[in-house]
Amino acid sequence: MSTTIPIGPFHPVLEEPEYITLEVDGETVLGADIDLGRNHRGMELLAEEKTYDQDIFLVERICGICSASHSWAASLAVEDIVGCEVPARARYLRTIVHELERLHSHMLWVGLAGHIIGYWTVFMWGWKYREPILDALEMITGNRQHYAWYRPGGVRRDVPDEIWPKILKILDEFDTKVDLLTGAILDDPVILGRLKGVGILTTEDAVAYGALGPTARGSGVDIDVRRDEPYGAYSEVDWNVIVQDGCDCLAVAVVRLLEMKEAVKIIKQCIEKLPGGPIDAGIRDVPRGEGIGHIEAPRGETFHFIRSNGTNMPERHKMRAPTFNNIPTFRPRVKGETISDALLCFAVIDPCYSCTERMTVLDPSGKMLLSPKDLLRLSHEKTEQIRRNS
Amino acid sequence: MSKEVLERLKTKFGDRVDVVERSARRAYVTVANEDWIPVTRYMYEEERGRLCTATGSDRSTGVELLYHFGFDGGGTVVNVRTTLAKPFPKIGSLAKYYPAADFIEREIFDFLGVEFEGHPDPRKILSSHDRPADFHPMRRDE
Repeated sequence: MSTTIPIGPFHPVLEEPEYITLEVDGETVLGADIDLGRNHRGMELLAEEKTYDQDIFLVERICGICSASHSWAASLAVEDIVGCEVPARARYLRTIVHELERLHSHMLWVGLAGHIIGYWTVFMWGWKYREPILDALEMITGNRQHYAWYRPGGVRRDVPDEIWPKILKILDEFDTKVDLLTGAILDDPVILGRLKGVGILTTEDAVAYGALGPTARGSGVDIDVRRDEPYGAYSEVDWNVIVQDGCDCLAVAVVRLLEMKEAVKIIKQCIEKLPGGPIDAGIRDVPRGEGIGHIEAPRGETFHFIRSNGTNMPERHKMRAPTFNNIPTFRPRVKGETISDALLCFAVIDPCYSCTERMTVLDPSGKMLLSPKDLLRLSHEKTEQIRRNS
Repeated sequence: MSKEVLERLKTKFGDRVDVVERSARRAYVTVANEDWIPVTRYMYEEERGRLCTATGSDRSTGVELLYHFGFDGGGTVVNVRTTLAKPFPKIGSLAKYYPAADFIEREIFDFLGVEFEGHPDPRKILSSHDRPADFHPMRRDE
């Protein structure tokens, strides 16, 4: 007889809260059902009542981690309607902040993945190394999160040149730590035992489900908006798209680890080549029309569509965060896995991990069989078991 | 890339598709309701377009669907549009053929009341479960 495991529904950190029910037979997951919307905020309707400038403050609150991504995508959509050229200095500054955001988002994921598999050192290291990146963001934009930095046409504030040596120093130190962490993770037989061959998402499934970002690239789908439709300064610097064809949790972890190295490369080149000049195209009026802005956020493509009716407020503002597309990939990924690996299969798309603390196993009468702590314990025990056997 | 896609689309569907190229990277294709599934299926199955997302909006002419297909190789987005008559908008479901359309069609059903015929899982997705079944928050009906 199969048992149902409800997970969620509330995720205070995630931009898209989810409620997942797992159908399990003993230890094996047979299938999953996903139900979103427990914390829907109605932002698309809200956006229609705000001016284009105010909209940016709204959309960066879709997600605390990806706040630069949403505000940049919305700005690109407005610039697509207006048809304006963004000054070079603004493009470079936007790219620097966006890549810093990728660094701290990926490092956050590494730390949380360590927590889930019971590697406290990885968790402590990951979050410790992430802090200086947030300091760098604060130096540039004035805020650790919700930067209020992007605006249609450019960026809101200029940056004094004396901060760049400090940022470069932070990046140099971070780069060394990424090497250290990558080596520690990829050389550890126990971590490899937990990640390799677990949570398979085939290339065909990744394409069919519309997977994005590291989730797609870990399954061998070679897509990255930064290269495919270059925006910002990405076409003017040297970097590589990281693609792995392992299709498992390890492949996604490797993509994220190696992308951090690429992000450091991009930021350093942008700082070196940073041009002078204006930081804003000075958009005054937005004509009637439709515009699209999509960019590569840390979790994948963020997509914004704006329809303007010629007033100072959008008539329709559609926003789609990458997790909306990545969540369904959990279905094929978790099928056939064990309950102790189910946590990893959620974690690998980089949604919010608070769900793991809210996951319970109930029997059909509603009696709790496994508490959230039990589920985390199961995952940690599996790591211990692999460690003892290795 | 986008140009070749559009040329092939025009060759296959002739004057059943109205193609407007707004810029080198953005094109908008308008089709009638009966051509919706053939055209959107063609974009995915033949041209390998990736459904980035879809936008539903309640406009004076009816409920408009706009499916955004990304062509990553060429860095372009081709948008396919159709308008459905109110008060009971109804159209075939692409999710039947392309799982990536599953969630977004459920969202459009939820917010705008568009019935996607043949959808494998036609449930509400985002709005609260205790809302009435006919409550669609983005409809502008009186």
